[in-house]
Amino acid sequence: MKRFGFIFLLALLVAALAGTSFAQVQPTLEKIKTSGVFTIGVRNGSPPFSFINKQNERAGFSNDLAELVHKAIEKKLEKQIKLEMKETSPTTRIPLLTSMAVDLVTETMTDTRARRDSVDFSLTFFVTGADFIVKKGSPIKGTKDIAGKRIGTQQGSTNERVLREKYTQAQLVSFPDQAAAFMALQQGKLDAYCNDAIQLWGLKYKSATPDQWVVVGDWISYEPYGMAMRKNDSDFRAVVNNALMEAIEGGEYFKLYDKWFGTKGEVPYPMSQAFKSFLLYQVVPK
Amino acid sequence: MFFGFLGMTYEFKWSVLWTQPYLTWLIDGLLTTLRLASISWCIAIFFGIIFGAMRTVPFRPVRAIATFYVEFFRNVPLLVWLFFWYFGAPEAFPEVIRQWFIRHGIEFWSAVAAISVYHGARFAEVIRAGIQAIPRTQLEAGLSSGLSVVATYRLIIIPIALRLIVPPATNESLNLLKNTSLAMTIGVAELTFAARQVETYSAKAVEALTSAALIYLVFCLSISSVMNWIEAKFAIPGLIARGARAEH
Repeated sequence: MKRFGFIFLLALLVAALAGTSFAQVQPTLEKIKTSGVFTIGVRNGSPPFSFINKQNERAGFSNDLAELVHKAIEKKLEKQIKLEMKETSPTTRIPLLTSMAVDLVTETMTDTRARRDSVDFSLTFFVTGADFIVKKGSPIKGTKDIAGKRIGTQQGSTNERVLREKYTQAQLVSFPDQAAAFMALQQGKLDAYCNDAIQLWGLKYKSATPDQWVVVGDWISYEPYGMAMRKNDSDFRAVVNNALMEAIEGGEYFKLYDKWFGTKGEVPYPMSQAFKSFLLYQVVPK
Repeated sequence: MFFGFLGMTYEFKWSVLWTQPYLTWLIDGLLTTLRLASISWCIAIFFGIIFGAMRTVPFRPVRAIATFYVEFFRNVPLLVWLFFWYFGAPEAFPEVIRQWFIRHGIEFWSAVAAISVYHGARFAEVIRAGIQAIPRTQLEAGLSSGLSVVATYRLIIIPIALRLIVPPATNESLNLLKNTSLAMTIGVAELTFAARQVETYSAKAVEALTSAALIYLVFCLSISSVMNWIEAKFAIPGLIARGARAEH
């Protein structure tokens, strides 16, 4: 009987091994087709890209772009597909992708060469760089003023890394989430908070007193946002990229940009000419 | 290899733990953890003895104060207390003091306050249990020999109680050491923080977190062996009936 139990366990283990290695090679499009569900990784606190709005619904620029990808997938598979959203964080998003729990991480993930070892990225849908948010009238105007100052960062972010390596004079205080860091800044426990400029603009406009906050600096890092997916799945990647290219070409991208970053948008942030050209150059001919 | 069956191919690289700057981060993290734990432990023990003793004295208002302290602080999660002591309490201080703390590691001292007050309440319960395990006749004998209540407590009750509570107090001390990892949420760069930091920079999660786990394990085991030694060393012969206790 004992022997039988052992063999049974072994059989289970082999089955599990076989099962997962089969799942491992299953292409994303096929997985979506058989399950009828397309799962994206989103955030609840990264306005205006991916967040929970005042009506308690998930919303944001990245989420809207993901909707476009969703439509493209439905068109490609000629089937009604359910769109599901799963909460992610900088530490969980890559494991969630590799374990098949999420098919596409849309939120605000910076495309880096190190991350390309683990995941593949779509074309760049937004560019920003790290700046500082300070209280109005603060002496901090940029990286030259941060020596000895208390600078808040988000744990595990790309800009924290740059600060730690290049600006060793600054006194870094890292928080697991943006809300805690901004609260510490509001209470004067930090002299500045460093993050991607666009997220700082988001914080500024989401705060109770937007004109009390100033975003300063000149991009100590370059942060191109891409949508992340499992590695070596070129068919799925093509669907995602084509959806983005068509949105840029057809103008929907710019409409969405205007909705979120236009003068009446959530975070007014005019598009630079350079960024516009960059977007258009990413679109390859039909 | 083993992780193959989780659907991931993971390559172990234990050498990240002793490459720079990761090693320095881990050591700094460990030192912060030890400093945080030892300072908090001393304050918690102090609060524990005071309030634990107060909960047993035959005078109702004193007992009420101590009961309030214990029930208020131990019945709210430590994480909430950390946020309270970091985001809430410092705002009530005068600006000069507040600024001084901000310039002198406010994250660390808020964590000390949260952990020591929370664990002080838990230590108080342990000490109360120790005191109440002592027969009432001890107190009466002390009083009738002419000692005051305070002197009876100081000379008779508390010395015996402290011996009785070594095992549960060890338990609490280990909890305290492990709970310091929560200080990460208010930006204290302690050991778990350092391990997470190594993880995000090197993408070697298993190695970084295993190293933190092993360090906690080593320190917890050392604490329990020291406490075992203390228990044996200060035992009052004949006071406590013991089974055949394994000698270490």
